[in-house]
Amino acid sequence: MTNSLLFGISIFVYFFSMVLYVSYLAFRSESLGKVATFVLLAGVGVETAAIFLRWYESYQMGIGRAPLTNLYESLVFFALTIAVVYLIMERKFGIKTAGAFVTPFPFLIMAYASLNPNEIQPLVPALQSNWLISHVVTCFIGYAAFAVSFGVSFLYLFKVRAERGPAKSKKGDTLLAYLPESDLLDEVGYKTIAIGFPLLTIGIITGAFWANVAWGTYWSWDPKETWSLIVWLIYAAYLHARITKGWKGKKAALLSIVGFSATLFCYLGVNLILSGLHSYGGAS
Amino acid sequence: MPEDTKKKEKQTNIVDTIWDFFTSLKLVITLLLLLSVLSVAGTVIEQNKPIQEYYRFFKPETVELFSKLGLLDMYHSWWFTSCLALLALNILACTMERYPFIVRGMRRQSVVLDEKLEAGLTNLATIKYTLPAETVESRVTAIAGKNFPARPVITEAAGAKHLFYEKGRYSRLAFFLTHLSVLVIFIGAITGSLAGFKGYVNINEGETISSIPARKGANKDLNFSVKCNTFQVDFYPNGAPKDYRSDLSVIRDGKEVLRKTIRVNDPLDYEGITFYQSSYGRLPNAVTFEMRGRGGVSLGNVSAPFGTQVDVPGGGIKIEVLDYREHFHLSDGSEAGPAYGVNIIRPAAAPEGIWISEPKPEMNRYGEYSFVVKDARFINYTGLQVNKDPGVWLVWTGSLILVAGIMMAFFMSHKKFWIRIGKDKKGQVVVTAGGMTNKNKHAFAGEVKKLVDGFREVS
Repeated sequence: MTNSLLFGISIFVYFFSMVLYVSYLAFRSESLGKVATFVLLAGVGVETAAIFLRWYESYQMGIGRAPLTNLYESLVFFALTIAVVYLIMERKFGIKTAGAFVTPFPFLIMAYASLNPNEIQPLVPALQSNWLISHVVTCFIGYAAFAVSFGVSFLYLFKVRAERGPAKSKKGDTLLAYLPESDLLDEVGYKTIAIGFPLLTIGIITGAFWANVAWGTYWSWDPKETWSLIVWLIYAAYLHARITKGWKGKKAALLSIVGFSATLFCYLGVNLILSGLHSYGGAS
Repeated sequence: MPEDTKKKEKQTNIVDTIWDFFTSLKLVITLLLLLSVLSVAGTVIEQNKPIQEYYRFFKPETVELFSKLGLLDMYHSWWFTSCLALLALNILACTMERYPFIVRGMRRQSVVLDEKLEAGLTNLATIKYTLPAETVESRVTAIAGKNFPARPVITEAAGAKHLFYEKGRYSRLAFFLTHLSVLVIFIGAITGSLAGFKGYVNINEGETISSIPARKGANKDLNFSVKCNTFQVDFYPNGAPKDYRSDLSVIRDGKEVLRKTIRVNDPLDYEGITFYQSSYGRLPNAVTFEMRGRGGVSLGNVSAPFGTQVDVPGGGIKIEVLDYREHFHLSDGSEAGPAYGVNIIRPAAAPEGIWISEPKPEMNRYGEYSFVVKDARFINYTGLQVNKDPGVWLVWTGSLILVAGIMMAFFMSHKKFWIRIGKDKKGQVVVTAGGMTNKNKHAFAGEVKKLVDGFREVS
């Protein structure tokens, strides 16, 4: 299958972009930074081609469906959206040093995806719906925005902690000075959530609408739905605290990290751990 | 102080305290985080399973405790519902609290750039010109008009001309949209659960039903009937179902009023009642058993139509086929193939049910009798989820308002911009300009700077 070859190449490209972003942080050379961005863009290009090729190949196999329907396909799409959202934020806010904290995601997620079965399987009747694309795309761009906010918040905490710490060696100081202003990091952490939250909201609503068409109930408190609501509630709390009470800095960064942990659990944990009473199991 | 007043004051204090509690940000954040933490419990303990399932995994006293706490159906428990109700009250109170501020913010206040307003503007700029006032005005308004498409409010006051520009005033309503939409969704959900109905029905091919067994409570009688004309299912080469569909007719007063082939993701809707393709299966139409008596002596064949009591020759008992499992599992978990649920009716005794396995006749003993399945004819049935939800449109309306509100809240702001064109003591034309916004002040400062830079270039 040609699409898996392209996906394989994109893993390597993402790996190189991660190495470049980390070296950019270590050596602080502008030209390294430019190459890092370029390589990440190339990774996005290769992966986008791979996704469209997979779509096309599914038609050739007589199945014909968007490549957004199983764990493998959602993982590769997640990696792509994280890279894209990050590139947009980098361009808009010039926070290239945050790349070292965000680009490990696309690489690690692609590497994890490659461990999962990747045959193009036909769709069960419940997934044969026009709602599939809008539901999955909105949810995953939302998740990706939360991932970028997580990376930026992490960098924020790292920077604030280092600044407050005891006097560092000269090398450490120059590195710190090279990082974006902590206010800017705080702002970008918020802005990405401001992008992710509306998209998650639309994702939950399209999911509810679809569930109502397919199963006759828009909300059934199943673990996936409930966890998506948990994620939504956490970010809603974040936004209220920030907008109304002016929560900034450390508290906001921590809440963003909690929010993304819940997002990851909603996405992966629910599928891998909460598949049922039996997997939880055990009298205690 | 007279007692009366004291009492009154005390009362107002209590009211104030309650009001402060319901409008506090602490309550919002606590509730949002509490609801999310509570929700986790419901995903860890599977909800609404048959009670036996819980006993398989937990100690009996644990199951009892969970059941008492409402943890087995926690999203409908009194404490979870109370949290939601508290959230609703909180939203309502905050909306009322905010109402006057938002209305005040929307009211067009100062259209004149006076000294008092000047003091409140952080980005105020003053530019002097050697050009005549008319030229300055036409060029400056041309620049401002590109950024603010709506016509300015022009006022002559204190010997100067004041222009007031405004954009996105209605974005202040985003607060109402986002918060009231949640209440609309709640009302929709409550309407659905009070006035709606959820049921499930199997219809055999060719048969007609006119009532639905409800999930909870009594059967729901329809004032029409539904016939399943045919049911079909296609499979992929790997054996997974590709498409299943039922050809349904809605019959009213003996006449077909609607006919539709429904599939998963494409239900049938009639008079607010929706029929969803949910599952399918097959049931034996008639089963033929060879009955054997003591010592394995054959008593001959018995043909039993589904759901009908049939005499067993020479036995004095009757049998009735009532159930069927495509894959019957024994108590040790192994599979015993297709099996038929049969009631054995002795005279003057309660019927006794047994499962008769098709591939394992050696298991099918009942007292002195044993059964061998000789033949079975099947009929397909379609499984339909049947719903009536008069609140669902409110849920969608609320959802749309919520999305619109969030978009407005994040991506729009109320921007105000003032220009004053006057003359100084020497008679030179002076333009003073500045702006104000309620959100995203950093980006707006850039916008104002760009405008002012444009004004400076006027010559």
